[in-house]
Amino acid sequence: MHRLFAQQIAKASAETGSLDMERLSELVSGAYDELDRDRRRTDRSMSLMIEEIDAVQRNLERLVIERTEELRAREADLQAQNMRFNAAISNMSQGLVMFDGDTRLVICNPRYIEMYRLQPDDVRPGHTLRHLIDRRTANGTFSGDPAQYVESLSAAIKAGLTTSRLVELDDGRTIALVNVPMAGGGWVATHEDITERRRSEMKIAHMARHDALTDLPNRVLLRERLCGALTHVDRGKRLAVLCLDLDQFKNVNDSLGHQTGDELLRAVAGRLRGCVRDTDTISRVGGDEFSIIQTDIEDATDAERLARRISEAVSAPYDLHGHLVVVNTSIGIALAPTDGTDANELLKNADMALYGAKADGRGVYRFFEPNMEARMKARRALELALRKALVNGEFELYYQPVVSLDNEDVLCCEALLRWNRPEHGMVAPADFIPVAEEIGLIVSIGEWVIRRACKEAASWPDHIRVAVNLSPTQLNSRTLLPTVLTALAAAQLPAHRLELEITEAVLMQNTEVTLRTLHSLRSLGIRISMDDFGTGYSSLSYLRSFPFDKIKIDRCFITGLGDSNESSAIVQAVAGLAQRLSMTTTAEGVETRAQLDRVRELGCTDVQGYFYSPPVPAGELAAMFAKPFAENIAAA
Amino acid sequence: MRVRQIIWNNRSGWTAAKNESDDASLVLYFGTRQALACGTRYRELRAMFPQSHILGSSTGGQINNDDVNDDEIVAAAVSFDATPLRLCRREIGGPHQSRDCGEAIGRALHADDLQGMFVLSDGLNVNGSELVAGITGVTGSKIPLTGGLAGDGADFKETLVGGNCAPRSGVVAAVGFYGSAIRVGHGSAGGWDLFGPCREVTKSVGNVLFELDGEPALDLYERYLGPEESKGLPGSALLFPIQVFDVERPDTAVVRTVLAVDRDARSMTFAGDVPQGWTAQLMRGTFDRLAAGAADAARQARTGLKAKDDDQRFSILVSCIGRRLLMGQRTTDETEAAGAELGVNTVRLGFYSYGEISPHATSGVCELHNQTMTVTTLAEVA
Repeated sequence: MHRLFAQQIAKASAETGSLDMERLSELVSGAYDELDRDRRRTDRSMSLMIEEIDAVQRNLERLVIERTEELRAREADLQAQNMRFNAAISNMSQGLVMFDGDTRLVICNPRYIEMYRLQPDDVRPGHTLRHLIDRRTANGTFSGDPAQYVESLSAAIKAGLTTSRLVELDDGRTIALVNVPMAGGGWVATHEDITERRRSEMKIAHMARHDALTDLPNRVLLRERLCGALTHVDRGKRLAVLCLDLDQFKNVNDSLGHQTGDELLRAVAGRLRGCVRDTDTISRVGGDEFSIIQTDIEDATDAERLARRISEAVSAPYDLHGHLVVVNTSIGIALAPTDGTDANELLKNADMALYGAKADGRGVYRFFEPNMEARMKARRALELALRKALVNGEFELYYQPVVSLDNEDVLCCEALLRWNRPEHGMVAPADFIPVAEEIGLIVSIGEWVIRRACKEAASWPDHIRVAVNLSPTQLNSRTLLPTVLTALAAAQLPAHRLELEITEAVLMQNTEVTLRTLHSLRSLGIRISMDDFGTGYSSLSYLRSFPFDKIKIDRCFITGLGDSNESSAIVQAVAGLAQRLSMTTTAEGVETRAQLDRVRELGCTDVQGYFYSPPVPAGELAAMFAKPFAENIAAA
Repeated sequence: MRVRQIIWNNRSGWTAAKNESDDASLVLYFGTRQALACGTRYRELRAMFPQSHILGSSTGGQINNDDVNDDEIVAAAVSFDATPLRLCRREIGGPHQSRDCGEAIGRALHADDLQGMFVLSDGLNVNGSELVAGITGVTGSKIPLTGGLAGDGADFKETLVGGNCAPRSGVVAAVGFYGSAIRVGHGSAGGWDLFGPCREVTKSVGNVLFELDGEPALDLYERYLGPEESKGLPGSALLFPIQVFDVERPDTAVVRTVLAVDRDARSMTFAGDVPQGWTAQLMRGTFDRLAAGAADAARQARTGLKAKDDDQRFSILVSCIGRRLLMGQRTTDETEAAGAELGVNTVRLGFYSYGEISPHATSGVCELHNQTMTVTTLAEVA
C-alpha cells in the first residue's frame, strides 16, 4: 500500500477503528488535486523556463555577434592605429629606440638604424643595449667604454632620471641624445643629428660678431676685444686704436657701382690683414670705416709705423673688374692708456683723430690731441653754416679773365666761387669745397654756380665766354645735363659761350657714363677744357680719351719757368701737342711780363693770371670789358 | 534529560497532562494562531508547569514526531538534570528595530557558560537577518543560535510569540542553555533545485524587491504561478523560492522567501535583504528532493551532537511553510525522513515557520534561512 494512502486511512480511522469513508475520500481527492496542481505547476514552470532559456540563448547569440563585430572593429581600429604609429615612428627625423626593464631592445626606427649604420640583424627585438653598443663600437659610431656607458645609463633609468647629452661622433656628426624612463623600468631614447643645426648656430653666432662683406670682426666684437685688451693695459701694457676710412670711397661707389665698392672694401680688408699681427684686431665698423686694435706696443712710434704701412698698402692702385681705382685712407690714432683707458673713450678719441686727419687734408694720419675736439666743433659749425649758405645767398662768383696772346683780348672768364660767410668774411674755395663735397652739397652748389655764371655771362659782350669748373661728383650726377640745358635756356646764353673745365681726376674714373655726358655736352656746342693739366696722374692717354677744346697748364709749371728748363720743356711739349690736336692752351697763374713772354714763346695760345687781373666780382667786369687790356697794360 | 510530549485538541483538551507532578524546566509549545490567540492554552500550561519557562509561537503547521497537523497544539516538557536555563522576552517595536532587539536579547542571555540559544520571533514585523545579527553580535559567532519566525498558516496576517506570557504579536523570546552538561546539535538544508536563467536584481530597497532584469518581480512570479495560483499570493510565491548571491562572492548565496506582495507597486517583500546588483535565480522543489533535504538537516544535527547514541534526545524541527505548501499531504515525507535520520530515541517537536534560524551548514555563521528544514537537537551528558 502506498505510504500516503496508509496515512490517509490512519487519519480517517476513529480511535475505535471504524473508517470514516467521507474523510478518506476527502483526503484521497485532496491528494489527487495536490498532485494535479504540482504537475501543472511543473509543466508550466518547465515550459516557461525553456522559453526563457531560449530567449536568453537568442540574446546571447545576438550579444556574441555584436561583440564579435565590436571586436573586429576594435581590431581594425587598433591595426589602423598601429599603422599610424608605425608611420609616425618610421618617418621621424630623429632616431628612436626603446628598451625594456631588462635593457633589451623593444623597438627602433629606421632612422636610428641609418644613423648608426647598423644591420637589420643588429636591431632584432631582444638584443641587449650592450650588444647594440658593441655593434656601434665595431662600426665606429660609438666611442667610449661600452661597459661604463651601459652601467651609468641603466643606473640613471633605475633612478627614474631623464638624461640628455650631446655626443660628438668620430665622423664629425653631433648627436643630441635624450633617454626618458618609462613606467615598468624600460626607457625610450631619441637621437637627433643636430650637426647642421649646430653649424648654423655657430654661423649665426659668427655673423652676429662679424661683418658679412669682409668677414672682419664687427663693432660688437671689436668692443669686446678692446675691453679684453684694456685689462692688459691695466697691467702696464700699451695699445693703440686706429680708426680709418677711405677717402673718395663714395665716388667709387657712385661711379662704379656698389658691387665694385664692395669689391674694393674686400680688397682693402685683405690689405689691412697683411699689415697687422695675428694678435691685433681689424674690424669693419660700417661703410668704409675700419678700426684696428694694435696691442702690446712700446710707444707711439709703433702705431705710427702701422699707420704708414696701412696708408701705403691701401693707397696702392686696385684693379677692380678692369677698373683701376686709387683710394687714400685717413687714419686717426688713440693710445691707451694716454688717451683713455675705456673702450668708448678710446674709440671716440681715435674717431676724433680721424676727423682731424680728414680736416688736415686726406691720406694722412693723426694722433689724438686734446684740442681736436675744439677743431671738430669748428668743423661742425662750418658744415652747418655751409648748408645755410646756399639758402641765404652767401655765395658769390668772382671772375678771372683768360686773355688771348694774339691780341690781348678777353676770350673768356673763369667763374670762381667765393663764400661770404657772415662774421668770417670771404672764405676761399679750398677751405669749404672739400667739406661741401663730403657732406654732399657740392652738386647743389655746382648747379647754382652754372646757373649764376650763365646768367651773368649773358650780359657780357657776345664774344666772351664763361668757364665753369665741374667737380667729379657733379660730372657723375645725372642732373648735370638737364642743369646745364636749363641754365643756358634760362639765361638765353648760346651754348658755345659756355666752357666747362674738368680735372684729370674726372677722367681717372673714366666711365662710360662720364664720357657719354661729356660728348653730349660738347655736341651742344659747349667747350670742354682739361683743367690743371700736369698735376695728379697726368697722362697723355687722357687727352686721347676725349677731344678737349682746351688744355689749361697748371700754374706750377708757369711758376717754375724761371728756375727750370724742365718746366719750359713740358709747357712747350703740351702746347705743341695741343696745337697738333687742334686744342688751345691756357697758361695758368701768369703773374709777370717775363712769364707772359715766355709762354708766348713756348706756344701757348692764352693766359690767365694776376698779370692781367685777379678774380674780380661780376660788377667789375663791365669796366674791364670796356677797355681792352692792351690799352690798360700800356697805360700801366 | 527527560522529555514528555503533550497534545491539546479541540475534542479532548490537553492529553496526559493532568494529575502528574512535573519537574520540567522548559515547556515548548506550537499551535495555530487561532488556537493560541485567546491566551487560555498558555494559562493552562502555566497552571500545569508553574515553575517552568514556557516558550511557544503560532505556526504554519505543527510537527509532532512524524505527524504534521493544523488542528492540535503540540508541546514538550523538558526536564534538564544539570542545565540552567535563562529566558528573555522583548518587544520588537518594528522591523527597523530588529537589530536593537537582537542585541538586547544577546545581552540578556550572554554568559561565559552559555552553550546555545533557541529563539522564537514574530514572523511578520521583523527583519530576521538583522535580529540574528543583533544577537550573535553580542554573544559571538561560536554559540549556536537556532529557532524560527512564527507562522500564520497561509494567511500572513499576524503571528504570535509568548515567553513566560500569553503569546502575542510583536514579541521575540529566547531561551539560553548553560553549563557543561548540555549538548546542542544543529542542521539546516533545503533540497530545492535552482532552475531557469540567472537574473540581475535591477531594483531593490532592503528586503523589498522591485525588478529583476528590468522587469517587475511580481510579473515574473505571476507568470510562473499561472492565474490560478497567483490568487494565492503572497503564500503561493513560496512555491518558487529565490536564491540571491553576489556574483563576485558566490558563497554569499542565500534563499529568500516572500512575506508580502504589493500589487500596485508590483513589488515583493522578502524575509531578508535582496541587495540590488546581486544575482537571483528561481528555485523549485520536488517531494523527494525536499524530503532528502530534511534528512540532510537531521543528519547534520545528529552527527554534530557530541553525545552517546543511547542518551535521551530532543529535536526541535523548524521547517519552512513554503515546503508544506508545496508538499501538501506529502509533507510527512520530510518529517519521516528527518525522523529516520534522528533515530528512535529522539523526541521530535516542531513547526512550519516564516523563517528558520540556524548556523549555516558550511560557514557556521548563524543566519536567517528560508525554505529550509532546520533541526536543533539537545542532549545532556552525565
